[in-house]
Amino acid sequence: MNSNADFTIAWVLILPILGFLIQAFLGKRMIDPAAPAAGRRVMGTLAVLPIAIAFVLGVLVTIRLAGLPSYERSVVVPLFEWIDILGLRLPFELIVDPLSMTMVLIITGIGSLIHLYATGYMADERDYPRFFTYLNLFIASMLILVLGNNLALLFIGWEGVGLCSYLLIGFWYKDIPNCKAANKAFIVNRIGDWGLTLGLFLIVAVLGSTNQGVEGSRYLSYDTMIPALVKALAHSPGLATAIALLLFIGACGKSAQFPLYLWLPDAMAGPTPVSALIHAATMVTSGVVLLNRMHVVFEMSPVASAIVACVGAFTALFAALVAFGQVDIKKVLAYSTVSQLGFMFIGCGVGAYWSGMFHVTTHAFFKALLFLGSGAVITAMAHNQDMRNYGRLSKYLPITCWTMFVAYLAIAGISIPYVFGFAGFYSKEAILGSALANQFPSVNGVPLGQWAGWVGLFAAALTAMYMTRLTWLTFFGKEERWRSIPVSDEHEHEHHALGEVHDEHVVAHADPYGFYLSHEEAAATEHGEAEHHHALDASHTPKEVMPSMYVPLIVLAFFSAVGGWALERNEMFRNWLYPPHGMLPVLGDVKSVPSNVPIVWLSFAAAGLGIIAGIVVYSKGLPSAESWDLRKWSPFRRWAGNQFGFDAAMVSASVEGGAELANFAWKGVDIGIIDRIVNGAGWFAEGLGGLVSFLQTGYIRMYALMMLLGGAGILGWMFYAAHQVAGAR
Amino acid sequence: MMAPHFPLVSLVTFLPLIGAILLMFLPADKVRAIRGIALGFTFATFVASIYLLLCFHGDTFHMQLAEKYPWIPKWGIGYRVAVDGISIWLIVLTTFLTVISTAFSYYVSSRVRDYMVLMLALETAMLGVFVSLDMILFYTFFEFSLIPMYFLIGIWGGERKNYAAIKFFIYTFAGSIFMLIGMIFLGWQYHNFAGHYSFYIPDIQAAVASGSFWTGITQWEPLVFWSFAIAFLIKCPAFPFHTWLPDAHVEAPTAGSVILAGVLLKMGTYGFLRFCLPLFPDAIQAQVPILMTLAVIGIIYGALVAAVQPDWKKLVAYSSVAHMGFVLFGIFSLTHTGLMGGSMQQLNHGISTGALFLMIGLIYERRHTRLFSEYGGIKAQMPIYAALFLIVMLSSVGLPGTNGFIGEFLAMMGGFEASYVRAWGLNMAYPVVAGFGVVLAAVYLLYMFQRVFYGPNTNPENRLLKDIKPWEIAMVGSMVVLIFWGGLYPSTFLKPMEASIQATRMMAVNPVGQRPVWEDPSLEIDTGGDHGDAGALVQSSSDSGGHVLYRQVAPPDLHLSPAPAQGVAAKHVGRLVADKAGGPR
Repeated sequence: MNSNADFTIAWVLILPILGFLIQAFLGKRMIDPAAPAAGRRVMGTLAVLPIAIAFVLGVLVTIRLAGLPSYERSVVVPLFEWIDILGLRLPFELIVDPLSMTMVLIITGIGSLIHLYATGYMADERDYPRFFTYLNLFIASMLILVLGNNLALLFIGWEGVGLCSYLLIGFWYKDIPNCKAANKAFIVNRIGDWGLTLGLFLIVAVLGSTNQGVEGSRYLSYDTMIPALVKALAHSPGLATAIALLLFIGACGKSAQFPLYLWLPDAMAGPTPVSALIHAATMVTSGVVLLNRMHVVFEMSPVASAIVACVGAFTALFAALVAFGQVDIKKVLAYSTVSQLGFMFIGCGVGAYWSGMFHVTTHAFFKALLFLGSGAVITAMAHNQDMRNYGRLSKYLPITCWTMFVAYLAIAGISIPYVFGFAGFYSKEAILGSALANQFPSVNGVPLGQWAGWVGLFAAALTAMYMTRLTWLTFFGKEERWRSIPVSDEHEHEHHALGEVHDEHVVAHADPYGFYLSHEEAAATEHGEAEHHHALDASHTPKEVMPSMYVPLIVLAFFSAVGGWALERNEMFRNWLYPPHGMLPVLGDVKSVPSNVPIVWLSFAAAGLGIIAGIVVYSKGLPSAESWDLRKWSPFRRWAGNQFGFDAAMVSASVEGGAELANFAWKGVDIGIIDRIVNGAGWFAEGLGGLVSFLQTGYIRMYALMMLLGGAGILGWMFYAAHQVAGAR
Repeated sequence: MMAPHFPLVSLVTFLPLIGAILLMFLPADKVRAIRGIALGFTFATFVASIYLLLCFHGDTFHMQLAEKYPWIPKWGIGYRVAVDGISIWLIVLTTFLTVISTAFSYYVSSRVRDYMVLMLALETAMLGVFVSLDMILFYTFFEFSLIPMYFLIGIWGGERKNYAAIKFFIYTFAGSIFMLIGMIFLGWQYHNFAGHYSFYIPDIQAAVASGSFWTGITQWEPLVFWSFAIAFLIKCPAFPFHTWLPDAHVEAPTAGSVILAGVLLKMGTYGFLRFCLPLFPDAIQAQVPILMTLAVIGIIYGALVAAVQPDWKKLVAYSSVAHMGFVLFGIFSLTHTGLMGGSMQQLNHGISTGALFLMIGLIYERRHTRLFSEYGGIKAQMPIYAALFLIVMLSSVGLPGTNGFIGEFLAMMGGFEASYVRAWGLNMAYPVVAGFGVVLAAVYLLYMFQRVFYGPNTNPENRLLKDIKPWEIAMVGSMVVLIFWGGLYPSTFLKPMEASIQATRMMAVNPVGQRPVWEDPSLEIDTGGDHGDAGALVQSSSDSGGHVLYRQVAPPDLHLSPAPAQGVAAKHVGRLVADKAGGPR
């Protein structure tokens, strides 16, 4: 590629940063508080445009990249020196290769649709520019993450998106639960980052100490690091395992794998589906990107790969089960995201890295669609998120309903075998097929990869089932269940206007009607805004959302339907990411179609059975809120609903246990021991001073004199002793 | 830039003192004039220190712009000042933070003249510490800095000001007594070694580097080392010598806290770099496990205790213990990366913790309380303040893109490298545990942010708060600029210190005969610009103790000259040639 193209890729990064600066510095000024609509339109446009232009530029660069022969498709674009000390250079360089460009297209493409949608969804928000400040910064961080040519730059983006998610989750900061969710997200991510940082250090230490020359001390740059790592780790699988697992801890944090998934559901409970979505479609995939970048290390360590596959499989199953216990539409989607990420990690764990990325791509389409659709439903239902209040919405929200239905088919993995399948079908088939076809991660002869594949297949059936539950309860059935909610009493409204902190979790289960005001409304009233969401009650009539919100739905529905099919043609996606004779050394070839198992029929059967089971169980609707805890399945529902107690256990262990430990450190050690010794020494000296009362002329002078005398004594002794030694010599 | 033909270092050091003396002759009731003159002098000092920075050459580790006058010739004590890569940024940091805190002291309304006199005197004392090359001169400034701070806390402080001031004074004074003993020992031993007394650091270092300074009394080296180390550990402060810090911070007036966190603590880490590494090469290597343990405990313990503080300032004070733990962690790794990171983190801590104290001071002037229980939800009330505070907090968290990241990352990496090759008796537990401090930093800082800025604004007194004023935004904004500058283009800060850091490290870890020595800047006023080639580094080809600390000793991209000749006289024998840059660095 020539320098022209280099320039282009830099602009892809610069544009969102410019957008961020514009929003941050001009946002408030552009919006006239008296007539905010016009200013918001201008700022909204200024927020969408940079991302959209970046997308167009990204397409141009990708086309140019695709024109190169496959072994030349990795171009490093240096921008400036970042860290440059003796023995360590971390320049700010961008890498243009199939992996980074795939992610750039997803980020800017889906990102601009989200921005467009958000201009509608957030139209009444007072802090409109603040929201877009965070969104643009998020896109910029995400681009640094995928485009940076070294792991330290990846880490900038990694923590950058963590920051943005912290800010977006806590966007409506008046509500303490939001802030707690934000803190939780940041802190749990930091635990992952701890592993990632140690992984980076270990790479530098290993490369440095094995005398593998790394050109120009660029120890963490992919182009120099990976070949050196291959050589350095060739005879030390233990080190490869260590590096791989440390990196995987980082990936677990960002990609919400068990046990570090804890932050994601809480983040989804945060204020906007838009921010929820931006996590689901882009941010959480960073872990998969990291594994793809560093796949060589994982491939060298069957143990680490097996752990990746098993953690992925367990997460896929666990989160799918938890999804059955959720009644909040966004939370179902949150756990579904965790579960789908598990699938991606199965793919990476069994060595089929391309299938993990394939699922990242298709998942970006249909999960974005699901979240945007749920946002439309929530908007139409007066910001009530409880599915027990929905029903038969297909009548009122046709566009939302049928686009979401496409996404439902895609995530469930519906196909007509050998003819056509929705997007999710192809990627899931690739993952499960690769898992079942290979012996790759087998530890001590146990084919853990295959086991992960079978667990994944079961989780796929569960996916189809809980998505049927969601779709059926929301859009179909005979009942319009919100009609049975009594007219909301004014008392409760006043309650909120006073700005009482409202804990969603408590309310969701405690309210006798299964009805609760979302905290968004509480926040809105807190802002003192005139905007008033009218409450969801029997007289409510849902209305289809505005065009800026449904246009993205239609675009995404198109890709959810045919995206997988189109990318699967002639193994296009696979050959694009990992060409047979590409730049990156791939150690083993991974088959994607098992010889002895008909994976196509298995996937078909899993999806079909899941859907049938879902219809059988949920066609009658969920039990009403009064009998929620009484029916036959209620123990499971409750147990699954609070994540089998895992979240509570972790929170109480870390928060309460941590507070106890910290209090002990402070009150016990700091005040109780150390300070007591210090003050005791002081009192002792004072007492000594009291004995020799003529010295007691004031604190400072007395102490100073004491010390001087004591010091002189010690000094004299030292002189004497040293002299003895010198004399002896 | 060419060196000036006047004593620039002394000018920078004593300009504030001249201002202080001038202020003493003004009537105490001319408050406006006093404030203006004080601010003018601190600003002039800042400008002069920037000029000093421009005259400074980062390509040599030798002392520059040196000045040398006899003081007590009989005892080998002289007025000898100079700057090198380790001190230059601390000098600029000092002058910068003093301008900021003097500007903030607009809020001080009682005994303004005395206050300003003390501030200016304090600045001279702090600058003197960083420029002194004579141990007795260093000690004088080191102790002299306690007195103005003692009065600043004791007169303008909070409720328990007397207790805090006395504790601060005695605690740090007690530590430095040991240091004085150690200094006298060194001077006396130099007499045994060379036949005459000298308290001149380069003299003693040259003697140490020759390898025969400690001969015969090797058992004394660790003791003398610890007499210095105790003083600096107290000053840093490191666990378990830290309990004076929270009390001093909480009771100190805002400007005092800024200076205390920003500069006074750095005297401890600077002392390690200036004394402990070059003068005790054999002792320090043996003491690394103890020192690193203290650093790691400080990181975790400081963070834990910070998390449960009900008082805003106390939280930041304990966070200083954790952050200074990272500085020590980097320095005591004795790797080039770690030392660079630790030195960078010193500056970062000065800026970001200084800014935190400044911003707490801004709101304290409005609400007169520092208890978290009094705050909550003030983000809506003060959006600009909240945004600036968020940035400063994130720098403290060590978010990439801010300066905090660069320092922590390099310091941690250095510690990791040393532990990975099991140098100095370290093992992997050190970096793994220390790394967890980064998680804890997020815990206590985000929790702090939540308690102050998020949630409903229920306290009626907070509903009257207005956002900060333009001059206050400018003050904090200038620090925010530095935060991003350090995070996005750290070379500005790293490059000038690199040669000195590398030489200091070699003085500590290289075997006898391969330790670099400072050139004697014996001219009355040295024209620092003419060093040229003479300042190139002595480079060793192997590390001491058989450790393979690969990158710091023999970076793969550097060609090494043959091993240099033995002895003190071998001053600039080796040469570093960087093949990519094509010149000495």
